[in-house]
Amino acid sequence: MLTLPERIAFVLLAVVCVAIAARGFYRIYRAITRGEGSIPFHLFARRVVPVSIEILVQKPVMKARPVVSVFHAFVFFAFTFYTLVNIFDLAEGFVGFTTLHRGGLWALYNLIADLISVAGLVGMAALLIRRFGLKPFRFNDNVFLNPHVPEGIPRDSLIVGVFILLHVGSRWLGQAFRIAASGQPDWSQPTASVVSMALAGLSEGALTFGEHATWWLALGLILLFLPYFPYSKHIHLMIAPLNWILRDPEKPLGQLDPPTKNGEGAAHLHELRWFQLLDTYACIMCLRCQDVCPAHNTAQPLSPAALEINKRYFLNEHLGEFAAGTLNPPPLLEMAISKEAVWACTTCGACVDICPTGNRPMVDIVDIRRHLVYAGDELDPNLQDALESLMRQGNSFNKPARRRARWAKKLDFPIKDARKEPVEYLWFVGDFASYDPRMQENTKTVAQLFHQAGLDFGLLYEGERNSGNDVRRVGEEGLFEMLVEHNMKELGKAQFKAIVTTDPHTYNALKNEYRAYGLDVPVYHYTEVLADLIESGRLKVNGRLSNLVATYHDPCYLGRYNRVTEAPRRILRALGVDFREMPRHGVNTFCCGAGGGRIWMDTATGERPSEQRIKEAASLGDDLKYFVVACPKDMAMYSDAVKTAGYEGKIEVVDIAQLVARAVEREAHEQPQPA
Amino acid sequence: MNIVVAVKQVPDLIEELEINEEGTGLDPDVLSFVLNEFDDHALEEALLLKEEAGATVTVVGVDTTGELDQALYTAIAKGADKAVKIVGDFEEGERMPTPIMARLLADAIREMDYDLVFVGVQAADDLDGQVAPMLAALLGLPHVGVVVGVEKADGAVKVHKEFWGGITADVLVETPAVLGIQAARQAPRYAPVSRVRQAMKEATIEEIEVDDLPEAPDASVCRMFIPEATGRAEMLEGDEEAVAGKIVEILKERGLV
Repeated sequence: MLTLPERIAFVLLAVVCVAIAARGFYRIYRAITRGEGSIPFHLFARRVVPVSIEILVQKPVMKARPVVSVFHAFVFFAFTFYTLVNIFDLAEGFVGFTTLHRGGLWALYNLIADLISVAGLVGMAALLIRRFGLKPFRFNDNVFLNPHVPEGIPRDSLIVGVFILLHVGSRWLGQAFRIAASGQPDWSQPTASVVSMALAGLSEGALTFGEHATWWLALGLILLFLPYFPYSKHIHLMIAPLNWILRDPEKPLGQLDPPTKNGEGAAHLHELRWFQLLDTYACIMCLRCQDVCPAHNTAQPLSPAALEINKRYFLNEHLGEFAAGTLNPPPLLEMAISKEAVWACTTCGACVDICPTGNRPMVDIVDIRRHLVYAGDELDPNLQDALESLMRQGNSFNKPARRRARWAKKLDFPIKDARKEPVEYLWFVGDFASYDPRMQENTKTVAQLFHQAGLDFGLLYEGERNSGNDVRRVGEEGLFEMLVEHNMKELGKAQFKAIVTTDPHTYNALKNEYRAYGLDVPVYHYTEVLADLIESGRLKVNGRLSNLVATYHDPCYLGRYNRVTEAPRRILRALGVDFREMPRHGVNTFCCGAGGGRIWMDTATGERPSEQRIKEAASLGDDLKYFVVACPKDMAMYSDAVKTAGYEGKIEVVDIAQLVARAVEREAHEQPQPA
Repeated sequence: MNIVVAVKQVPDLIEELEINEEGTGLDPDVLSFVLNEFDDHALEEALLLKEEAGATVTVVGVDTTGELDQALYTAIAKGADKAVKIVGDFEEGERMPTPIMARLLADAIREMDYDLVFVGVQAADDLDGQVAPMLAALLGLPHVGVVVGVEKADGAVKVHKEFWGGITADVLVETPAVLGIQAARQAPRYAPVSRVRQAMKEATIEEIEVDDLPEAPDASVCRMFIPEATGRAEMLEGDEEAVAGKIVEILKERGLV
């Protein structure tokens, strides 16, 4: 129990620190509410339990860096359990209540507290050693950073790390003092008891001093830390759960919100949405997002982490004025991210998917692009050409709209016009599959396979336009709406039960974006339909390609955005290919570099993500022959990358439909001829 | 400063063009129309001047396609202040002879308050290049053609102009004047669709009705020909060294290096 002066001092310190901290938190709240839109507090009741469970099992953290995540879990469990410990310790200090019982539930409590303290200390020490010994946190040199970031992050890390070590360590040591003072070891607190034996020789006065000093270091330190909390990344322990709780779980990553401010997008911090401001407080600056960012990986000036961190540092420096609304912040392009970085994003979604604190930096980038497009900022000339072509012709190839289904004329069977007769599947072909001469052969193959399997399908023919998925992600919202309106009108003329599409980007748009415009039918990727046709026996293949060594690349908009990872693998298994998985696969796939409209822009110098990817495939063995894709844009990107990365003749990029066709043909040849 | 930009639409070359039954022009049924590229540059240069020196930009055109609205709204979306279209009983989709178009434009522009008239130096559908000089003559103004940049000067404009053989010159022209624009200083800007739609909702296009077409001398097309595809490509065979050698040989032979 504390002395009276100690108790008075603690209460006074608590009042001062809590008041200062409360002001900080209130400012953060005000700052976040300066963002666009209203905070959906109604989600709280529904989300708090499931999110808490996910966090208790550390699911968001465990998605990557397993070893580090285990150390984090140690610290997390210690900190969580310490909520209880701190309350009891407070009671011990103030009212003479004690937890030092050696039996029953208290023994269990003491055992958990003892072990978890050691785990927390080990975890924190390991994280500090990693940060300051191994120095894994680096931005590439092209990334725009707030000038205070390079020294600010290590300082913050050190403060937080030392705080945790002192807080947990003091409490743990305090128990050792108390056990020593009690005269005999308490084996429900095994580690503290071991330490207590070393303290056994101390005088009673020294032990009492030790008890008081450690109590103050454990609990007084929390008070001292409170005012710093709003400025530290440590605030993630409150904001990250909040960030997960306030997110509508029914809203897919592949569905963007319309732009704020009547379509003008975001030029300044307060023109972002509330959650984009919350993001910056949730960010723990672990840089996992930049690890998986295809742009950062190829030395482009983009780091999704730097975007969040720069926003945070600006807020740290101007929180009072920003929260009060008396400060008009400088443009985001001058304080958060460079224009080159904004245009380097492929919208692959890897940063959002990996973020342990639920951040969505990609959404910021799209909102900034929207502003740039709306404000008439100079666009990449190739992008401008593509947009103008999309506006006039509905495709990015600057080819007449009415020539979209020309490839179908070269088939030896007619394809139904879904606007004229009902079909089961409406095949929404997509731009690249329709217009790119390299892809038209494959489109014909898919048609052949559908036809051979007796699938009842049809096209919109010249009525189809680009779905607008990438147009929206380029930030050209008006053009996106125009394309959607056109396609919805044409779809309205057709009768069908489901949509099948050859393009993952189209798939995403039709499945996720078009919902808001009233499209409500099942949407399938052609790999899903082909897998079903094979498994139901409508296409006979029977594992004929067993001599074929292949790997498969998951398209971002199929694998990550829409979790369609099994269908293509089901096909490859049925074909019997010798299948090898790349390290980055499934939902953790690595972008080819074409998404988010990047395919229309002049690629920057240096290694391309697609070249990196081909090297990843090549690392699977010299006998790997086929790089299997299921996206027309991948076909374009990787056919180039195989040449530029020097693997021509060694690795062949092939669409999954080509392999199916090959197996089907073989089957046809091998069937016994009728006598 | 008030700048008037005269624009017209031309057939979009991405379509496969066909000759009409009489053989004297393009078949309007298969045509789609785009803004003449040089007029797009004229508009861009006007907008650049507006941003630098302050100006009011008025876009004017004769609606020979029935689709001119699109081009005018796009111009407003890009930053033009006013749009005027000249309508009448024109043959939709047919090329209007330059002397007639120039007279219609001159009649309209004469009524406006202007310091400069920008016109694309030529258009893909006739490669005539006459609208600007004719307008200058009809309005009694000085004219400079093949302009690649305009700068404001006191009571005049300094015009950067191209000559043959890569020679350029700065020319001082007193305003008002008519300029035939070859290229703006930067590529024509993008008009975001939302702004175009906003313009369609909020802006009004002023209409000038023409009852009778002015009399003007003109030439007429007897017959039009579509280019025939010919196989002129020569494939060079051999390894890199050999191919490079042959390319150098050919370039030398043609006097290009």
